[in-house]
Parts: sequence; C-alpha cells; structure tokens
Amino acid sequence: MGAFEYRQAEEIRDTFSQHGIRYLFIGKSGAILLGFPDTTQDADLFVERNPQNCRALVGALRSLGFELTENQAAEIERGKDFVQLKNGPFDLDLIFAPDGIERFDDAWQRHIDVEGFPVCHIDDIIASKLATNRQKDRESLPRLQSFRAYWLQKGRRG
Amino acid sequence: MGTASKLASNEVVSDAPSAAIPPDWREEFDAAARRPLRTRFRYSFIHTYKPVLDDAPFRAFDTTAEYRRWCEENLPDWLGYGRV
Repeated sequence: MGAFEYRQAEEIRDTFSQHGIRYLFIGKSGAILLGFPDTTQDADLFVERNPQNCRALVGALRSLGFELTENQAAEIERGKDFVQLKNGPFDLDLIFAPDGIERFDDAWQRHIDVEGFPVCHIDDIIASKLATNRQKDRESLPRLQSFRAYWLQKGRRG
Repeated sequence: MGTASKLASNEVVSDAPSAAIPPDWREEFDAAARRPLRTRFRYSFIHTYKPVLDDAPFRAFDTTAEYRRWCEENLPDWLGYGRV
C-alpha cells in the first residue's frame, strides 16, 4: 500500500459524484486540501448518514476497488459511526458521526469547494480535533490554529 | 462565522484573523499556497506501517466513542491515538 495520491482523491471525487453521495473531506486530509502544509497517512471522509446515501456509498466503494463482503457492505449501509477501510486501493476512514460536529447539514452549509473536492470548513476540522482530544491531535492543533488565522487573512478557499 | 462557540471554552480560536502566526509557519503556509494542489498532495500524504491499526482490512464501530476506546485499549501509546 503506497501513499494516498492526488489521482486517487480525484477518483473519490468523480466516483462519489457519479453515485450522488454527500460527503466532506475532514481531518488533516481536509486541512491539506485547504492548503495546510503537513503530513498525514490516509483520507478521512465525513459521510451523510441516510439510507440512500449509505447504499450509494457501498456501490461507489466497490467501483473504486474496495473489496467488501456482504456483511461489511451491510455495516456501511447501516451507517455505523466509524468505518475503517484497508481493503482497497488506498486506506480510507468513513466517519458518520465525527466528534465536535452535531449534524452533517451544519458542516455542509459551511463547507468549502476546492477544485471540486468538498471540504469541511477549517473551523469544523479544528472543532472535531479539539473534541477528539487525542495526543496526536493536541500536537497538531497549534499549527492548525495558526493556519486557520492565515487562511482567514488570505481569504483563501483552498 | 459563529463556529468558534462550538469549541471548548478554554480553547476557542479567535475569529479575528490577526492572531499571531509564528514567522516560520507563515513562510511554510506561503510556500504551500504557491504550490498547486497536486503538488501539495505529493508532499503531504505518506504511508508508514502502523502496528495493529493496519493489521485488519476492515473495522466498523457502532459509535465513535467505541472506536476511541478500541484505539486506547489496543494501539501502542506512541501512535498518539490515546485521548489526553
């Protein structure tokens, strides 16, 4: 398994669009899309939890090359809070209920489009990391908060 | 924006974009802003083996809290997935 590549992000964007899936890049992968210079290992997607979206998600993941058993597909369709996929062309975390964000619709209203990639607003990315409160998040937060200030100063949109 | 109120009260990020940015970080942010997204991706995504975490092809958790607990109970501390 190599590192997540831009080409694979494009495949997510295009395939998810074809399947009509509502999702947002979140976490450090989302921040990187906004311009945050840092490193991470995989992509985190905040997916809207509703039956239609979750069914479409299974089809999209299979199109992308994820090998899902029927049981695994059923778990995704049920919209479990957190699904970790390492059975495809790249690692992917599906998050249906991220810490620090109450509703998908709230995040969607604030989201940023970066070259067609739907990305959580920097405030939601920071709120989620603050609420998660892991050691690795604590270590990255000061720099992420500085990036937020920079991003607002520049009025950037990715 | 109004979203700062969602953050923990002792850690609210100022809505004012004038917060101090360390000069070396600002230089890095400026440099990143000059790079196309495709290049930023190449510099940002890495892959190293994470023990335990990378050893199963699929995991699903009913709740995010359950996932956090699993991380704390099963992953090496040095990976940084434990809550503070």
